[in-house]
Amino acid sequence: MGKTSMACAAAVRHADEGKRTLIVTTDPASNLADVFEQVIGHHVTPIAGVANLWAMEIDPDKATQEYIDRAMAPLRAAFPAQMVQVIEEQMSGPCTAEVAAFDRFTDFLETPAAGDGAFDIVIFDTAPTGHTLRLLELPAEWARTIEQATASNGQTCLGPAAAIQSSKLKYERALAVMRDPSQTTFVFVLQPEATPIKETQRATGELAKLDIHTHQIIINGILPPEEASNPFFAQRVTMQNRYLDQIARSDLSRMPLPARHMALLDGEIKGVTRLRQVAEMLFDGKPRPRTSALVRPVAEEHLVLSQADILPRVEPNGHQRVIFFAGKGGVGKTSASCVTAVWLARQGHKTLLLTTDPAAHLGDVLGVPVGDEARPVGGAPNLWAAKIDPKGAAEAYKARILNDARRRGRPPEALKAMAEELDSPCTEEMAAFDKFIDFASQDEWDSIVFDTAPTGHTLRLLELPIDWSKQLDVKIFASVDTAAADDVAKQRFGQVIEMMRDPQRSTFAFVMYPESTPIVEAYRAAQELRTVGIEPGLVVANLILPPEECTTPYTQARRAMQEKYLAEIADRFSVPILQIPLLPHEVKGLTVLESLGDRVLGAKGND
Amino acid sequence: MSEPIAWIETTTVPSTNGTRVEIFDPPMCCPTGVCGPTLDQTLLDVNEMILSLKAAGVSVERYQMTSQPAAFLNNADVMRLVREQQMAALPITVVRGHVVKVGAYPTLAEIKASLNGATV
Repeated sequence: MGKTSMACAAAVRHADEGKRTLIVTTDPASNLADVFEQVIGHHVTPIAGVANLWAMEIDPDKATQEYIDRAMAPLRAAFPAQMVQVIEEQMSGPCTAEVAAFDRFTDFLETPAAGDGAFDIVIFDTAPTGHTLRLLELPAEWARTIEQATASNGQTCLGPAAAIQSSKLKYERALAVMRDPSQTTFVFVLQPEATPIKETQRATGELAKLDIHTHQIIINGILPPEEASNPFFAQRVTMQNRYLDQIARSDLSRMPLPARHMALLDGEIKGVTRLRQVAEMLFDGKPRPRTSALVRPVAEEHLVLSQADILPRVEPNGHQRVIFFAGKGGVGKTSASCVTAVWLARQGHKTLLLTTDPAAHLGDVLGVPVGDEARPVGGAPNLWAAKIDPKGAAEAYKARILNDARRRGRPPEALKAMAEELDSPCTEEMAAFDKFIDFASQDEWDSIVFDTAPTGHTLRLLELPIDWSKQLDVKIFASVDTAAADDVAKQRFGQVIEMMRDPQRSTFAFVMYPESTPIVEAYRAAQELRTVGIEPGLVVANLILPPEECTTPYTQARRAMQEKYLAEIADRFSVPILQIPLLPHEVKGLTVLESLGDRVLGAKGND
Repeated sequence: MSEPIAWIETTTVPSTNGTRVEIFDPPMCCPTGVCGPTLDQTLLDVNEMILSLKAAGVSVERYQMTSQPAAFLNNADVMRLVREQQMAALPITVVRGHVVKVGAYPTLAEIKASLNGATV
């Protein structure tokens, strides 16, 4: 979206105006160091060439390790080695990273300082969507959870109530700061496209529920109107204008500060000089500088699409194949999964397309409504689609467990305490995964395509060291009460995880577009899945500029930038790369999906 | 054996008759019993027991190694047991400063009996 570059441009501007400015990133995929062309690191670092400007990159892995070390220090000396090891294993579970991240985030809202004093301005280039919002919601939830826990058994999923009392104050202070418009400004950066607009509306809504209000939007990535001389880009300009209209008419444009528009630049924003140029465009309304012609013409398509490498990882090959599309929001997972599912169905494979997207984006792209039960997609023989609603699944999960507990005669206070615990984000993740297992266990499908992927985090939750020999009840089979239940559970989860580790039966396709942040994000996601034994199967590089349409210095410069990143993708991932070209219009509707599928996966076997 | 010291982490108000039950948990990611893909009925039983005790006016403290290491380190009996038996020692239940159960969670009946003076 361009959060980092916008944040950096704003940081440079504030610093140039004489304010002591700190820009912080807590996003491991952020390329702050690249943008400023210098090493930054896990501490406050002055930025060369800009007086008054400092930066800091919080390394979440380091921060988690610091958190663990702090917790382990008193234990190492006193406890026997075997126990220390067990405790350390416990702490390397997913929950620790969550707590550490949360802890860290709130630390930054306390005023950091450098050299001779506090900062006037602290800029975070972190988006308060998804994960971070969860963290922001935690103080509100914690306040409630702590009251409940203190009144009951003193325990919450986040640790004993007593132990987090002091943190509670810190978090309340943090929330107070975020709610105060004289202290905090929230800026949303979005591109004029369907998904980013929906996402931004959803996120601003979530923040508003916490009494945190957005003050400004920056609409980034606007194609220069002069590029409309090429009919290909003319269609995209028209499409963008439609969305710009939509934004102008929506409440996204009714913020305290006016919306700013930012052009899609001809290359990366790197270096202080460029950032000052961008700041002039953003804050002073200066026009985009002209692109000078490239010295070297655009290379021929040298990343040859090799369908022979890709198809074996997509087609069923005799057993059911599940394809997961992994990647952050906005990279094109839904488009890629729809193209793939439609193509598979056209090859004659009975295909189920699944989504967990609450915005039901799948339905928009397919052009048909998608419900909780698998339903055939009209106009596409062999294709069915369904959505998994994590919140609904969590409610059903919770109800099953509470009913079981009630049947066992647990008293109302115990049920109340359990209900509170089951409201944790962990429950939603696992409930969604549980529903997925339901679908994946259905033999009738040749192919199952999922427009999202469980994270290493979710899978590690499932792999928590569990003493299988204890008398355990299974959430899914709430009425089963024998030792056989744990065998069933182990089998159920075990089978699915084995499937995910078997490249013959599943493919993890990492979706990205050729820019720094999405590539790093995908790379990190892949590394995380490796820790549970899952290897990437494919890379999908989306939004690739067709070389033949790049006829102006501007488009040639952008194409050159993409080529550079395509080479980086090839470096980082040693799996086949499926390129999906940028289209003059949106990827929507069966006709578009069919022809795009033919183009990228091959037209064999179609009528 | 004297009562453990340094209860800086606690916020519960001691009950009027000074009765205290302390449970030292084995290492676990989550003490609630509802985390993870399966339920742990034992942990749910323990939580329920604690609720009953509190309702009866008994003060109950529960300690996790990673959140309240001081509680462990400051209790000589607990540390001795842990050094001798390692993981097998936990959970350890202490009633009025005396260890009453080692290696497994007590039942409500067992705790009530120790509160009434019996040793388990």
